[in-house]
Amino acid sequence: MQNTKGLALEVRLSAYLDGEVNEAERKELEQLVARDDEARLILEMLKAGNAFGNKAFEEFLHDPVPLSLVRRIKQGPGVNPKSERVVSAAPRPARTRLWPRALAASVALLLIGGSTGFIIGKTGNDDAAPMNVAAARTWLDDIADYHRIYSRQTAEHLVEVSAADLDRIEPWLASSVGVNFKLPDLTAQGLAFEGARLLVAGGKPVAQLMYKNEDGDVFAICFLKNKPGTSDGKMTESMRDDIAMISWQKADASYVVVGPSADANLQLLADAVSATI
Amino acid sequence: MRPAAESNEFRRDLVSVLPKLRRFAMTLTRNAADADDLVQEVCERAITRNHLWNGEGRLESWIYAMTRNLWIDEIRKRKVRTGGGTVDASEQDELSVEASGEKAVYANQLHKMILSMPEGLASVFLLVNVEGHSYREAADILKIPIGTVMSRLSTARMRLAAMITETTERRA
Repeated sequence: MQNTKGLALEVRLSAYLDGEVNEAERKELEQLVARDDEARLILEMLKAGNAFGNKAFEEFLHDPVPLSLVRRIKQGPGVNPKSERVVSAAPRPARTRLWPRALAASVALLLIGGSTGFIIGKTGNDDAAPMNVAAARTWLDDIADYHRIYSRQTAEHLVEVSAADLDRIEPWLASSVGVNFKLPDLTAQGLAFEGARLLVAGGKPVAQLMYKNEDGDVFAICFLKNKPGTSDGKMTESMRDDIAMISWQKADASYVVVGPSADANLQLLADAVSATI
Repeated sequence: MRPAAESNEFRRDLVSVLPKLRRFAMTLTRNAADADDLVQEVCERAITRNHLWNGEGRLESWIYAMTRNLWIDEIRKRKVRTGGGTVDASEQDELSVEASGEKAVYANQLHKMILSMPEGLASVFLLVNVEGHSYREAADILKIPIGTVMSRLSTARMRLAAMITETTERRA
């Protein structure tokens, strides 16, 4: 617990929000907030800043991490322990920057009127154009979400049509998605075919072929029909939290191979799929 | 556990914290290119020194502290390379690093707003408010006194609150 007596009110209230003040100070600050408008405004601003900051930082986790970096970590040179310790930098001096109360008070008036709606989202009759605060979702975002859910399902719920109905899968998905394909045999890559699903991603029907390795890790091949002339064949790697994706376009269709981010051989798998599907 | 298996497990754990590590690096470097370089360097160093990780506590804390140290080294080198001479150690994590929003990979407005905060604020806010580190843990990771954690945290919160007002006004 911290002793905040003598510090600026916003610093004390900030520590109060974090539960970092002792019991006596907690009671003192609660009584202050109950009777003092300025203290109450500052506390509301701190809370609003928390909510806004949490939302903003959550967005950072949606950015793909370069798969090349993941691969370097997984396939890098062997451990070569050294006896040296991690370098530590000298401590920096304390430097207190206090937010001017006058500005806090003026901002608070606007804040109370306008912040709540921003945090909890648009209201039903809000005609204002939405802020472009997040990149538009792509079909790959949908695929990542699907994979995160389905890859954790038990065997009986992993797929919609199991590998036992192999003969049905190709014509069913080809007609539903509009993409002719040949089911890739990935046994050489250590993957067993489990079955398939029909999904909707980016507003289009998507075929999803599910495979498992001997460790139980789930891999998926997904594809959807594209507009004619969009083929480029170039493979793009990305990572969404614990999921890695390699996507490409070929013969008027878009493909993606999805697997655990910790798998270092996803590129080899994507090459195999691209060559055989 | 065999050393190789231990190493593989460590690498797997490292991969699992990559998104969070990259986010933390962004709060230090305030641009994506530097953050990616920093993350790569940290990971390489963490792998070669994984024997120093005792497995207690949060792996992120150990990695974050290493990230912070490497970044301080980097900005010190940059200062020297650009003719600033040696850097007073007491000022090293207050060096001005341009927040190059134009170069940032992220076009996202929220990212830009976070990265535009004065140096030091976003890191503290991330550690304490978003990731739930205590003041003591945040102070240890960032090598700053707890009092500085407290003041930076309240300043960050007030800044973020002001950003709500800015965005609300833009929408009006």
